[in-house]
Amino acid sequence: MSKNNSEFSVVGKRIPKLDAAQKAMGRAEYIQDIKIPGMLYGKILYSKYASAKIIKIDISKAMALPGVHVVLTGEDVPKKMKMGFYKDNPPIKKDKVCSFRDEVAAVAAISPEIAKKALDLIEIEYEEQIGIFDPEKAMEKDAPLVHEHTKSNVLKLPWNIHYGDVEKAEKESAFVVEDRFTTTGVTHCCMGTSGALALFDATENLTVYTNTQIPSLAQKDFLETLKILGLENKRVRVIKPIIGGGFGSKLDTYAYEHIAILLAYKCRKPVKIVFDRVEEFKATSTRQPTVTYIRQGCDKNGKLTFRDIRMILDNGAYTSWGATTPTVMMMPISSLYRVKNIRYNAKCVYTNNTYSQAMRGYGNPQATFAIESNIDMLAEKAGIDPIEFRRINQNVPNETTPQGFKITTCGLAECINEVEKELKSGIAKEKGVGVGMASLIHVGGGARIYKSDGCGAILKMDDYGKVDIFTGGTDMGQGMDNITAQIVAEELGLLAEDINVVHSDTDICPWDVGAHASRSTFVAGNAALGAAKKVKQKIQEFASKLFDVPAEEIKFKNKLVFVPGDQEKSMPIDKLLRKAHFSKNGTMLMADYFYDPDNESFGKDFKCNLSATYTFGVHGVKVNVDEETGKVEVLDYIAAHDVGQAINPLLLEGQVYGGVLMGLGYALTEEVVQKNGENMNANFRDYKLFTAKDAVNIKAPVFETADEAGPFGAKGIGEPGCVPTAPAVANAIYDAVGVRIKDLPITPEKVLAALKEKNG
Amino acid sequence: MKAFKYLSPTTVEEAIAFHDQHSETAKYIGGGTDVIVKVKEGWLEPDYLISLKKIGEMSELHKNDATGELSIGAMVTHATLEKSLMIQNEYPIIYDAVSNIGSLQVRNVGTIGGNLINAVPSADGAIPLIALDGIALLHGPDGERSCEVKDLFIAPYKTILKPREILKKITIPPQAPHTGSAYIKFGRRAAMELPLIGIGVLLSLGDDLQTCTRARICLGVAAPTPMRAFNAENLLVGKKIDKKILIEAGKIAANESKVRDSVRGKAWHRKEMIRVQVRRMGLKCLEIIKNNS
Repeated sequence: MSKNNSEFSVVGKRIPKLDAAQKAMGRAEYIQDIKIPGMLYGKILYSKYASAKIIKIDISKAMALPGVHVVLTGEDVPKKMKMGFYKDNPPIKKDKVCSFRDEVAAVAAISPEIAKKALDLIEIEYEEQIGIFDPEKAMEKDAPLVHEHTKSNVLKLPWNIHYGDVEKAEKESAFVVEDRFTTTGVTHCCMGTSGALALFDATENLTVYTNTQIPSLAQKDFLETLKILGLENKRVRVIKPIIGGGFGSKLDTYAYEHIAILLAYKCRKPVKIVFDRVEEFKATSTRQPTVTYIRQGCDKNGKLTFRDIRMILDNGAYTSWGATTPTVMMMPISSLYRVKNIRYNAKCVYTNNTYSQAMRGYGNPQATFAIESNIDMLAEKAGIDPIEFRRINQNVPNETTPQGFKITTCGLAECINEVEKELKSGIAKEKGVGVGMASLIHVGGGARIYKSDGCGAILKMDDYGKVDIFTGGTDMGQGMDNITAQIVAEELGLLAEDINVVHSDTDICPWDVGAHASRSTFVAGNAALGAAKKVKQKIQEFASKLFDVPAEEIKFKNKLVFVPGDQEKSMPIDKLLRKAHFSKNGTMLMADYFYDPDNESFGKDFKCNLSATYTFGVHGVKVNVDEETGKVEVLDYIAAHDVGQAINPLLLEGQVYGGVLMGLGYALTEEVVQKNGENMNANFRDYKLFTAKDAVNIKAPVFETADEAGPFGAKGIGEPGCVPTAPAVANAIYDAVGVRIKDLPITPEKVLAALKEKNG
Repeated sequence: MKAFKYLSPTTVEEAIAFHDQHSETAKYIGGGTDVIVKVKEGWLEPDYLISLKKIGEMSELHKNDATGELSIGAMVTHATLEKSLMIQNEYPIIYDAVSNIGSLQVRNVGTIGGNLINAVPSADGAIPLIALDGIALLHGPDGERSCEVKDLFIAPYKTILKPREILKKITIPPQAPHTGSAYIKFGRRAAMELPLIGIGVLLSLGDDLQTCTRARICLGVAAPTPMRAFNAENLLVGKKIDKKILIEAGKIAANESKVRDSVRGKAWHRKEMIRVQVRRMGLKCLEIIKNNS
């Protein structure tokens, strides 16, 4: 399977993002740019309290405002209409609010200004109640209940595993370390803010333009909404405009989408809701804040004996996919390094904070922060160099982990060696300077967290040698479009620019479970490859008759269809396509393919082979810590990954750079500051996203282990960049100045406070 | 955002006359990096914005070689100051401050006068001008008046400017020989940052290159308005300056400050930063003096 990069024509080439020019010139159409005749503007009114009863709502003044078409409150929302897999979140709240983000009313008007003015005219009488904001306190017996109908703030979710015998292993361990690690809520900071436009046609079929990573599942959610509205047997068409960043924020459907539908239905006009930046900060979700209690042990040779983790996740007031991130945390917990005895228990707890959601890495960064910080502590206790300690325990190819993950290709050893080389190079240790590392495992071949992990593709060729491919995959800036084009072009001997990738419309594109789990290159890539292979075979059959040679002798390159070594038997592909089309009993070259990877859903005790292959990586970082101010400066960064095969190294590096910078923000600066549930830094001035000036020197070497299951050997690389970043930084800080910060983000205050405590 | 008319007078008198004409519904605007944000957020709702950018004299940056006086028009942009070799060489404290304001884009349009008039406790531009004993020249309907830059500020977002009055320029008196100055903005990231604390130090030494003849220790975000740490300054004047006394000055300045806890940073840490950075900036001043003599 493995091929040298030199054997490829298009795969492995640094082809810039296909829509780069369009975006750079301002021609890309985002949800903000879309206007439809007669369209109204929707706005949402949010709660004034983290926890309160709604006593009375008076919308009469808002309704009387000229230009206002509809005002909706919780009274107008059918009781059955609830969002999220846990079905605890109505799009507009009725009698009670449980967070500042709670939607209490919505307006549709002829302009955004009038809609905003109308919101100010809605009068609501609240009765404030005591809120609960700390998930550990929310677990206490007499804690106020976020939702009164539940018996406890702890969600009923089965996040428990125990493989082997942790207690026995602990007794037999030579060294054991334990500690508590905490992470905070960070948010996706998509440059394109959220938005949706809903419209019904004359027969009450619905079209929704929306920024989503899950067009097919969103379609299903919206169909459910229609059903609840009494609209049975209707159609829903989901159209994705160009998306300005996803990072997991668009893996669910949200109140603003359902409210746009309700408003559009009520006033029989198209209604668009677009968030402004403050709203984007306040009314979208954060990564799950976590509290992690971890114990790990090793024998006297440094071989890991057990890993025991108990975790508490701040769910916020409602439930979205964030509550299922423990299933992905199980991956590093059970399978990062070779550990036989594993125990993990996670509790998701309701609080009156904003509700949390999936974000790049899907729980893996939180779990890896605890594991990899703690690994360094254990290595120190065992008196073993941290790099050597990792080498002793590193994952190897062709092994099954305690959870049942079948590791096929694994380049962790190569990554460790590369990072070691980089960290040990350079001058001798200066005061305040230190190095640290951390490893990662992530799903690289899809993840079967839904009934199907599949993606469909339809491919058609025209008379000019060009291809249109309609894929279920979603591009949200990560480069699914390029990957699809390069794979198809490689297979058919074309150029990437010959391939038009259509991924925007459920009326046209086949089903796909969504752009998550770093699965687009692997799954959408394999779907495209499957369709291309079918078309290729048809062309070969046609050419076989034409050239009078066996089909398998026909090759494709440089837009030619030819028989190697026989110059007579060669034809430009466009000419061949026209020949096929314009002949008696003519044919058009088209094919469809649905690819569903050979991976497994969670079985008993969460055992399964979740992904068709796994991606590995090691990050190394060199920092300088100012011991008087606590400020950490990142001097150098290396992120080495086993990617199977880089389909497009340019975009791959972009994914790694972006992931690392997101990870460094997570490690050092970013935090949604919530004070009693209220967002205190809903702007880019106080939410400390790394700026261009903060960007650091990043090396991103790749190891190509050519995975047999991947398209041309590729594995997923969307998320790994931000997975081991924080522990690598924390380990480097410890190496530099001897303090271990166990709470993210690692601010100058925390470092300085720890230094003062250490130095007395 | 509320719609407004944009007026571009070419003289100070014309600007004041426009303001007279439209009274309460008008607002002066410089680079707009603060005013437009406030209009967009709905904190300001002017019908007229009177731009001061076309008033030629207000955009002049000039050093009188005969008197040694520096004159900075209020509409001089941060980028102009940052790129000026004269500023870089002779007024490093100004360079240190303006080159770290906002982003390149903000510095290209944002003005030093606007930075002062906005009057936030974190204004990077104010600290060096206070340290340099800058004088603000104000022009109002009743003519001109002047005050020390340090006396411009009353409270956050509040200055002594009367209605319709314009900050025309800032003059910096000639500097004594053997003067060094430095500023540091301490923040969590490298751009688009408000300082958690801003520290500016200026030291002039006598001909012995040891004895302090003048000291200015100026702090941003250490109080509701930019402040001078007089006790720390007094400690230094007349003494021989070394690391030891600068450490002491740092301690005193930290104690004089009125730092507070906020979402952005903790008071104890801000105090620590004053303690450390007063010393570091003081040493940087000595370094500059040494290199220049």
